[in-house]
Amino acid sequence: MADVTYREALRRALDEELDRDRDVFLMGEEIGKFEGSYKVTAGLWQKYGAERVRETPISEEGFVGAGIGAAMMGLRPVVEIMTINFILVAMDQVVNHAAKIRYMFGGTVGVPLVIRTPGGAGAQLTAQHSQSLEAWFAGCPGLKVVAPSNPADAYGMLKTAIRDDDPVLFCENLVLYNVTGTVPENGDFTVPIGVAAVAKEGDDLTIVAHSYTVQRALRVADRLGQDGISVEVIDLRSLRPLDVDTVVESVRKTNRVLVAEEGWSTFGVGAELAARIQKACFDDLDAPVERVGAAEVPMPYSKPLELAALPLESKIEAAARSLLRECGL
Amino acid sequence: MPRLSDTMEEGRIGRWLKREGDSFREGDVIAEIETDKATMEFQAYDDGTVLRIIVDDGETAALGAPIAIVGEAGEEVADAPAEKEPAAAAEPEPATSGSDPNVAAAPPAPAPQGNGKAEVLRVSPIARRMADTAGLDLRSLAGKGSGPDGRIVKADVERALQGATPVPGTDVAPAPEPSPPAVPAPGEGDEVRELSPMLKAVARRMTESKTTVPHFYVSSEIDMTRALQLRKELNEALADSGEKVSVNDLIVRASAQALVQHPQAHRSYVDGTHVYHAHAHVGIAVALDDGLIVPVLRDADTKSLRQIAVEARDLAERARAGKLRQREIEGGTFTVSNMGMLGVSAFAAIINPPESTILAVSATIQRPVVRDGAVAVGDIMSVTLSCDHRACSGADGARLLQTVKRHLEAPTLLLA
Repeated sequence: MADVTYREALRRALDEELDRDRDVFLMGEEIGKFEGSYKVTAGLWQKYGAERVRETPISEEGFVGAGIGAAMMGLRPVVEIMTINFILVAMDQVVNHAAKIRYMFGGTVGVPLVIRTPGGAGAQLTAQHSQSLEAWFAGCPGLKVVAPSNPADAYGMLKTAIRDDDPVLFCENLVLYNVTGTVPENGDFTVPIGVAAVAKEGDDLTIVAHSYTVQRALRVADRLGQDGISVEVIDLRSLRPLDVDTVVESVRKTNRVLVAEEGWSTFGVGAELAARIQKACFDDLDAPVERVGAAEVPMPYSKPLELAALPLESKIEAAARSLLRECGL
Repeated sequence: MPRLSDTMEEGRIGRWLKREGDSFREGDVIAEIETDKATMEFQAYDDGTVLRIIVDDGETAALGAPIAIVGEAGEEVADAPAEKEPAAAAEPEPATSGSDPNVAAAPPAPAPQGNGKAEVLRVSPIARRMADTAGLDLRSLAGKGSGPDGRIVKADVERALQGATPVPGTDVAPAPEPSPPAVPAPGEGDEVRELSPMLKAVARRMTESKTTVPHFYVSSEIDMTRALQLRKELNEALADSGEKVSVNDLIVRASAQALVQHPQAHRSYVDGTHVYHAHAHVGIAVALDDGLIVPVLRDADTKSLRQIAVEARDLAERARAGKLRQREIEGGTFTVSNMGMLGVSAFAAIINPPESTILAVSATIQRPVVRDGAVAVGDIMSVTLSCDHRACSGADGARLLQTVKRHLEAPTLLLA
C-alpha cells in the first residue's frame, strides 16, 4: 500500500468502476480534456473516450436532470458539480426528483446516481464559493449523503456509492484533495455507507466530525493528548444514513461530546447530533453537547476575517478545553 | 459582575445608586461594588434604564454573573434568570401507594431544613447516575460541584467515591460517612459571618506570603529626637497652609531615599528572576474598621517631604472612605506598616508580595539613651524590617535599615 492523495484515491475509484461496469459514465463541466477543475478525472477521458466521460455546458440543472434520466433508464452516472455552491441551481433536480422518484414511482424505478462535489473554504473564495452545505441535503429523505475524511474512505466509499441503487451526494473538500494516506491496492475494497469510524480512541471527550474537520479534530486530539487529555475522534463518514450507534457508544464511554463541522452550526450536523445524543445518552452526559462550526456570516474575503470565520483547530481546541473545564478537568 | 480588579473572583454590591426604574447615561455611576481590594464605582457602559436588580445591596456574585437587567424604559423583562427555585420542584414525587405495583415506593428524600431557600442541587446526568449506582448521597457534595453554577460533575463524584469501597453490582450501598469537620463547630452564642471580599483577599494573600515567601527580620532602634524636632519646626512653618507632616511621612521619605540607594534591597523575586525597581512606590498600610488596605504613594523617591505629606493624607482619607481607585492600590515596591499610634513596642509584619520588604514601625517612646558618654532622654522608635530572602540577603536588609536610621537621625537629609 502506497500513500496517495485523496484526489488520486477518487480518480482510481472512478477508473476502476468505469472499467468494471459498462453502465458507469461521468458527466460534468470540463472533466474531459481539461481533467476537471480539481483534476479528479485526470486521464479518464483519454482512456474511456468522450462517450463515457462527457463534457457538459455550464448548466447544472440540465446535466443533473440528464443524469437522473440516465439513471432511471438503468445507467450509473457519476455527475461532477464543480463545487457544492453550484448545486444550488440544480436544487429542484436533486431534492424534488432524484430524492423522490423511487417513492413516487412506488418503488419500481430507482435513481442510481452519484453527484460528486467538493465543499470547504480557506482559499479566499469568499461568500458564494466557500460553503459547506451538506447538512441541507442530509435532512432530505431519499438521498444518501457521504463525506469521507481520508483517501482510503474516499476510495472505498466512492465505489460503494457508484454501486448503490439510490442517489448519493458524495461530498469532497477542497483542502482534502491534497491530503495523503494509504489506500488498499485491492480493487474489491469498499467502505459501507452509513457506518461511522472511530478515527482515534480516547476516554475523556468525544469529538464528532466529518470530512476535513476530522483531520482538524485529530490534530486537536493530539494537542490535548500532550496535556494528558484522552480524546476520542468519531469520523461520521456518512451524514445520511447517520450512524448514531457509534456516536452513542463513544459518548457512553467518555460522557462528554463536542461536534465540529465546517458548515454553520445552526440547523447543522451538530444540531442533529445534539438532539440524537441527548435522547440516547441523557443519563451519560457530564455536560451539554458542545458545537463548533463556521461563524454565522457569509464567508468574508479578507484573510484575517476568513480565518476568524472558519472553525479552525484553535476554536475546536478552545471549545474542547472549555467543555472539559466545565467538567472539572 | 464586571471585573473591576485584576484579581477579583467575585464582587459584593455595596449599594445600587440607581434603582429599578431609574435611567442613567453612559458614564454614570450606577453601583458601588466591593472587590477584593477596594470599593469601586461601576460606571454605565451605555445609556439605559435599570429594569431589574438581580443582585441586591450587600449580596455577592461571581465574576460575569448577571447582577441586573438594563434596557429601555418601560421594556418588559422576562423573569430574571432563576437563581433559586423552590426545593419541592427538584425533589421526586413520592410514589403513590398502589399506583404501580411494579414500582417500589421510594421514601421521599427529606426536605432540606431551614428557611425554604434551599439551593437546587445541579448535577450532570452521568454524575447523578454514578452517585445512584454507588449509593452516594449527592447532598453531601452540595456546594462542592466544579461545573458551571456549582454543577456536580463526574469528576466530583469520582473524587467523592475515592476511598469509599467500590460497590459491586447494582446493590445500593450505604452512603459514605460524612468526614468529620476539620475545625470545631462554633460554640453557643458564637456568630459565624462571611468574610468581606477584602478580608478574603487579605486572608488569601497573607497565607500565600507567609507560606511561600522565606521571611527574615532585621530590627533596629532609631533615635527620633531630631526628626521630631524637625517635624515640629516644619509644622509651625506650614501652619498657615493647613498642611501637616506626620512621623509616618518622615519614615516614608527616609525609606524611599534608602530604597533607591540599595538596589539589592529594592528588587522583587519573580519566577526565578530579580526585578529591580527604578522608583520607590511606597505602600502605606491603613487600618480600617475591619480590615486594612495599602494605598501606594508612587515615586516617593522623587517627592519632597511636603508632597509626600499631602499625598499620603489624601490617600489615607480616601482609603478610610473606600474611595481608592484600583491603580492606587497596586504596584508598590515597599510597604510601611506603622502601629506607633497604638503604643506597641515591637512587631514584625508579613511581606506584601511581590514586594520584598516591609517596615514595621512601633511607638516612639521616651527612654534613657547614651549620647557622647552621657545619659540623656531620647525619643526611641523601634522598627523591624521583614525581608524576602529570595530577593535580598541579611546584609542587604541591614544596610537598607541602616540608611533609613541614618536619615531619620540626621533628618536634614530628608530635606536634601
